[in-house]
Amino acid sequence: MPKILLVEDNEMNRDMLSRRLERKGYRVVLAQDGRQGYLLAHSERPDLILMDLSLPVMDGWEVTRLLKGNGSTSHIPIIVLTAHALLSDRAKAFDAGCDDYDTKPVEFGRLSEKIENLLVVRKES
Amino acid sequence: MNLQNLSIKRKLMLITMLTSSVALVLSSVSFLIYDLMSFRRQLSQDLMTQAEIIGFNSGAAMAFKDEAAATATLSALKAKDDIVAAALYSPEGKMFAHYFQADKTLPSSLDAGSQQSGYRFEGGYLRVLQQVKMNGERVGTLYLLSDMRQWNLRAKRYTSIIVIVVLICGSLALLLSSRLQKLISKPILHLEDTMRMVSSNKNYEIRATRFYGDEIGRLIDGFNTMLSEIQLRDTALQRANNELQTSTHELEVEIIHRKRTQDELLTAKQAAEQANRAKSAFLANMSHELRTPLNAIIGYSEMLEEEVQDIGKISNVRDLQKIQAAGKHLLALINDVLDLSKIEAGKMQLHIEMFDIASMIEEMVTTLKPAIAKNANAFQLHVPENLGTMRGDVTKVRQILLNLLSNACKFTDHGTVSLDVDRMTTAGQEWIQFRVSDTGIGISTEQQENLFQEFTQADISISRKYGGTGLGLAISHRFVQLMKGRIMVESTPGQGAVFTVHLPVQAAAEQPESSRSGQTVSSEAAPQVTANADTILVIDDDLAVRDLMSRSLTKMGFRVVAAAGGEEGLRLAKQLRPLVITLDVIMPDWDGWTVLNKLKADSDLAEIPVIMVTIVDNEAMGRDLGASSYLIKPVDRERLVALIEKHRAARFSTVAKTGVPPANWSSRSQRSSRKPEVVGPRRH
Repeated sequence: MPKILLVEDNEMNRDMLSRRLERKGYRVVLAQDGRQGYLLAHSERPDLILMDLSLPVMDGWEVTRLLKGNGSTSHIPIIVLTAHALLSDRAKAFDAGCDDYDTKPVEFGRLSEKIENLLVVRKES
Repeated sequence: MNLQNLSIKRKLMLITMLTSSVALVLSSVSFLIYDLMSFRRQLSQDLMTQAEIIGFNSGAAMAFKDEAAATATLSALKAKDDIVAAALYSPEGKMFAHYFQADKTLPSSLDAGSQQSGYRFEGGYLRVLQQVKMNGERVGTLYLLSDMRQWNLRAKRYTSIIVIVVLICGSLALLLSSRLQKLISKPILHLEDTMRMVSSNKNYEIRATRFYGDEIGRLIDGFNTMLSEIQLRDTALQRANNELQTSTHELEVEIIHRKRTQDELLTAKQAAEQANRAKSAFLANMSHELRTPLNAIIGYSEMLEEEVQDIGKISNVRDLQKIQAAGKHLLALINDVLDLSKIEAGKMQLHIEMFDIASMIEEMVTTLKPAIAKNANAFQLHVPENLGTMRGDVTKVRQILLNLLSNACKFTDHGTVSLDVDRMTTAGQEWIQFRVSDTGIGISTEQQENLFQEFTQADISISRKYGGTGLGLAISHRFVQLMKGRIMVESTPGQGAVFTVHLPVQAAAEQPESSRSGQTVSSEAAPQVTANADTILVIDDDLAVRDLMSRSLTKMGFRVVAAAGGEEGLRLAKQLRPLVITLDVIMPDWDGWTVLNKLKADSDLAEIPVIMVTIVDNEAMGRDLGASSYLIKPVDRERLVALIEKHRAARFSTVAKTGVPPANWSSRSQRSSRKPEVVGPRRH
């Protein structure tokens, strides 16, 4: 059962997304801020990370950059989620090294497709 | 003195005097001559008579050769003063008797030929010869010599009288003429005076007085009339001049007034632009603040729907779907507002990439299917096989087509909606033409005018009946403009509408991002002018001040770079071209004044506003050297931020004017996530 780390500071979004992911059969680990997300990525070794960008303590770009720069975590696919509809945010996210990108509000069907794709790619590699 | 240049007065007197004197002298002299001549004739007559009498008396004496009697007769002439000599000659011519007064003598004999009677004037004397007869026989000749004493006396007396008379008459004439010449000269002199007064004082109100009704009087009348004319014209001229001056003054006032108004308008315009940007920023912020709860609503209702479907409570599923639909509609509206506010804030960017037109359309039509089905419309798609690719912002092209097609579907019931795509070439440029046509309610001519304006649907009632924000067409229009394309509409009310969009096959070349296909254009890639539009350079040797400024300005969303000394500050200023520089005065290596001088001397840096932040109270010095503002420590943070915001607004307005889009106008939440960069030796 793939394990997904969801880093999201908004409680409702966290609750909703985690419940839907669980219904899909994933194991979900939750982090409320960037620092916690960074630590959990190391300790929990998730198969995939869903990363919000606007996070307290340490923002999503920073966490993504750190995780992708670290040999022990760089293999974990990261999907960045943001409420920002700006193209520059998307560019920034890709610059930080994320594998995919989606805007909020999440269209769950589309997101789960992206999750599946990344997990399949990872399995294949 | 030249006679001709004499004054009129003198001329008149001279003429009078000359004329009267000549007349007087001439008449007196002719009278004198006439008188003297007739007096001489009378004298000679008298002497002839005298001679006749003496001849008669001495006839007997002569006949008888009585010398004594003859001499006695002649002696009677003693009584006559003027007869100076008398003699009696015999018929042979020999002197017989004589009478001589004083030394005058007579010849002792006479020629026979010269013994005829008669008189002769000779050398101031009158000579008279008289034949002395006795009984009709010539017995001798009488010779009388008169010195004409009476005549000479008379001539002398008459001459003196004439001289006196001429003198008296001359004086009288002088007196009279000097009085009478005034008749002519006075009005002329007065006229001359008046003329001189008028010309020297430029006073055209003065008039010459008319003395008499003669030619000079008429001349004066003429002169006065002329003066009146001149006065009239002068007054008119004066009035015109005054009016001109007044209107010039009014114009000046008007110009000043307009300038002030212009300044006010400019200020107002800047304020309005600032307000508009603030509004757009607010809308952009609000929009994604709204998206977070909406996200929850849509997400939870989707989740609930899935759970309820598992349980099998179909009626609840419907309700949940309605909540979802409403949520999605609201989301679409918010997205529209966000798009529009981004366009208005100048933040909308093109993401240019090469894409296949046919597959983009195919994908879009899939999304559109529910909308087509809703009003039972037929959909026709005409895409030529070899349509190929275009370079542009695929998301925006898709959004334009979706807007136009969903509008067509919305306003058409049981009709046909079609999309025709084709390539075309005009003015040497290749275009893709998209034609969206429907058989719906159509748009009236008046409605077409405002069709592409924000928040104006063709009719208020339409928004009630069909829903929507009325932003779809406005956004499509703006997108098309952004891509340097055209959008047109043709419609007959009741018969449907045709929207035509032309987009360049190659997106505009001046977009710097167009060379990098498929890359996202971010604010970091924008030109340098905007790259550091949020950067503040803090030059201060005090670490505490640097940290404090960095922290407070970073919190306000600025990127702060700090330098501990003047040299380093100058280097960073050149490298970063910051929005604003804050500068301390008392520093170890170069003081603030030196740094300010160097900044203002560099043509590249002179434009950057410098805010002095110091404990030194010398604002005048700062202003003189070119500082924009002067703050005394401890710094009022709000004032500092207000100053920086002002400079940023000014910079944006100039950037907007020069046509470089203020692409870096980021939202607060984005800025606040940036880390401050503090450069410089830190003393830990």
